[in-house]
Amino acid sequence: MRELKLMKGNEAMAEAAIRCGCDAYFGYPITPQSEVLEYLSNEAHKRTGMVVLQAESEVAAINMIYGAAGAGKRAMTSSSSPGMSLMQEGISYIACAEIPCLLVNVMRGGPGLGTIQPSQGDYFQAVKGGGHGDYKLIVLAPSTVQEMVDFVKLSFELAFKWRNPVMILSDGALGQMMEKVELFEQQERIKTIESWATVGKPETRERNVHTSLHMDPEKMEEINIHLQAKYKAIEDEELRFEKINCDDADIILTGFGLVARICQKAASLARERGIKVGVFRPITLFPFPYAELNKLADHAKGFLDVEMNAGQMLEDVKLGVNGKARVEFYGRMGGVIPSPEEILAKIEEKFVGELV
Amino acid sequence: MAKVKGDILIDIERCKGCELCAVACPQDSLKLSQKINSKGYHFIVKIEDNCTGCTNCALVCPEGIIKVYRKTLNKKEPVATISNVSKDINITVGT
Repeated sequence: MRELKLMKGNEAMAEAAIRCGCDAYFGYPITPQSEVLEYLSNEAHKRTGMVVLQAESEVAAINMIYGAAGAGKRAMTSSSSPGMSLMQEGISYIACAEIPCLLVNVMRGGPGLGTIQPSQGDYFQAVKGGGHGDYKLIVLAPSTVQEMVDFVKLSFELAFKWRNPVMILSDGALGQMMEKVELFEQQERIKTIESWATVGKPETRERNVHTSLHMDPEKMEEINIHLQAKYKAIEDEELRFEKINCDDADIILTGFGLVARICQKAASLARERGIKVGVFRPITLFPFPYAELNKLADHAKGFLDVEMNAGQMLEDVKLGVNGKARVEFYGRMGGVIPSPEEILAKIEEKFVGELV
Repeated sequence: MAKVKGDILIDIERCKGCELCAVACPQDSLKLSQKINSKGYHFIVKIEDNCTGCTNCALVCPEGIIKVYRKTLNKKEPVATISNVSKDINITVGT
């Protein structure tokens, strides 16, 4: 039976975590994602025995994840931009030790302590690696509250499949937005013990060790080569994206997360005026759909990248298009959300008369 | 028709400042405050005393934090009093 509910993005995500059998949540409250911890602390332990703990700081929370996930448990945390910055050291350690976990970043305006309004300024931090060393996270960008729910389940599947931390890159508006969601059935917490989990040494095998410290440079390089091969395989297998009316489009709007929805409205406004506009939305930001964009550039005359930052995904869009078509950019920063009319005005200013 | 006078109560700690109620209010009596609540959001406040109790704001509020109170003024209130005759006369106008 379908179970429909009207829920706030953050609460829907927390409910999804309980339902997908998450074992542990460690976090520290920060607007605009405080509702996650609030919701979980009320419900989670009673229902599934899930551990929910408010850590003393974000640094502690991420290292608690390192420990819990290292024991093969499904552990997750959520934070907003400044909190995620504090977690970067731990994320780098977790990526090196190949431990699966889920991180949720409900982005807010920056830099610095910034504002509490929605933004997408953490694209580089999430996709290019905010911590030290050559590591990558699998990054998913939801654009509806429904996807916030679905991606929690998907993230744990991906994390355990690849033994890699997964990040859901949401934003303050999605976190606070109330929308209709369809929830999946409650799942059992998984009892199987992974072969790499540190759960005590039986006589039958060598002890499992999770470490990110390797003094021997040859050994460290070996690990790096292994990680890079894994990231290559992820790029081949886990690509996800959405194309809306792109087949006959002259102008293609690119945007991830919330902005992709504003772009859809802008595209339909533009089509009313006779400009053929399509929307391309990468769902996985790492791996990024470069090849797909390149294919679109064969028939599209221009691209307008719209973001709530100063042009971070723009670099990847340009790499994808690779000079085949003109790429323009429109962005609002610091917590301001662009309106469909603004985007339409930008399309008309940049392309109409020249390209279409 | 009896005149309806309304008033609203807003749980400001749970307000996220989406301003949907301000758009929905036909009397334009709601506005974002300059102050912020403990989560850091500017919250909505009533700035005019002209609420009719239409409940539009409470219906659109995604958080469900607006309570509407209604008071129906059935009694005709005097608009003028003429004194200094044998007895005071109250004058009321229309409905």
